[in-house]
Amino acid sequence: MNQEDDKGSSCSTGDLNLCPICLGPIVQDSYLDKCFHKFCYTCIVQWTKVVAGKLSRPLPSVKCPLCKTENFSIIHGYDGNSFQQHHINQDFEHSFVLTRGHKYRLQCYYSEPGVVSDIFNASRYWKSRKYLQPNRWLQSWLRREIQALMQEEDVDIIVHHILGVIDSFVSRNEPKSHVKIPETKGEELKALVSDAARPFLGARTDRFINEVELFLASGLNIEAYDAVYMQRLGWSFPGVTSEASEGALSGQTTVIPYLYIFDADSDGPD
Amino acid sequence: MQASRARLFKEYKEVQREKIADPDIQLVCDDSNIFKWTALIKGPSETPYEGGIFQLAFAVPEQYPLQPPQVRFLTKIFHPNVHFKTGEICLDILKNAWSPAWTLQSVCRAIIALMAHPEPDSPLNCDSGNLLRSGDIRGYQSMARMYTRLAAMPKKG
Repeated sequence: MNQEDDKGSSCSTGDLNLCPICLGPIVQDSYLDKCFHKFCYTCIVQWTKVVAGKLSRPLPSVKCPLCKTENFSIIHGYDGNSFQQHHINQDFEHSFVLTRGHKYRLQCYYSEPGVVSDIFNASRYWKSRKYLQPNRWLQSWLRREIQALMQEEDVDIIVHHILGVIDSFVSRNEPKSHVKIPETKGEELKALVSDAARPFLGARTDRFINEVELFLASGLNIEAYDAVYMQRLGWSFPGVTSEASEGALSGQTTVIPYLYIFDADSDGPD
Repeated sequence: MQASRARLFKEYKEVQREKIADPDIQLVCDDSNIFKWTALIKGPSETPYEGGIFQLAFAVPEQYPLQPPQVRFLTKIFHPNVHFKTGEICLDILKNAWSPAWTLQSVCRAIIALMAHPEPDSPLNCDSGNLLRSGDIRGYQSMARMYTRLAAMPKKG
């Protein structure tokens, strides 16, 4: 007569939203990536540390305390759009945690494309051949973008790879050389960057190229670009821009609207 | 420390609720120390332990549930995986295969299952293990039944 009770007692957590480790309500929902069993973030991280501590070396995976499935990462911080992933083989103390700036960029990738494409005119950017002038924020911007997308801290090699592709494209297209239709130039560069980024970004590459183009076309620095982007999305995260600049934009704190129409000689007053 | 206390308290409340649900296990927390528990378990039916009531002692470490509780039989038992003198239990989930999702209650269930299904290849009681390994099921059963009568059943008269 009490079938429901029997089911409940075979597993003390039952179907309630309780953490199987602390038996309390789950704090900071965290899922294992294979079996999707749910735990408190601190509980499952602590357990992973205990398991790794027994072997005194980093583990490639951790067995689920409930079903013993081997899992390779902990998924947490899911906010409806984006999530964070902690890989078991990483050192927890030194693992990379996304800043709010990273999170906002990651969320942008879950928004509809073209949010700011009417503000920043990409075709004018190519037509005016602005791409031949170096963008001094591009490196920091690329780093944050790729860090957010890959959830990895050390992305320097990818950033340099992409910058190298852009540089060699620019040097091949010096102002004096033959003039093609500007739009095809844009497509050419986008195809090159796309090829360079695809092995790392996979399915998100196309959107990434789109975002790179918009950032370049904006001619803005990171803070100003973020402000415009978030205003358009209707997001207001107090402190996001300042935090975003913390890591990625060290040193450059002054906000100068860097609109290409006013910009004849960018290397002037340094 | 705080975490283990909080969890043990939750288990305590759960035990109060489940008492009727599982008549084979009676878990009792020490009056003054939440890290000390005792359990009374019924010997499983159709085993030489049937009819016996066995007492277990739990010592819960401060790192619980990240570390397993230490459990031993207080009641003498003749079983390949239980030390005849100390009552120590050889059970993987109490050692390497421990998972924090186990509870004191579920550990009791695992021990009841072990009583019904001994593992003679990892014996703590060699006499008992050897009887089973040599195929002398009757010998093992009659020894186990005798100790169940001697130690785990109320004395008559």
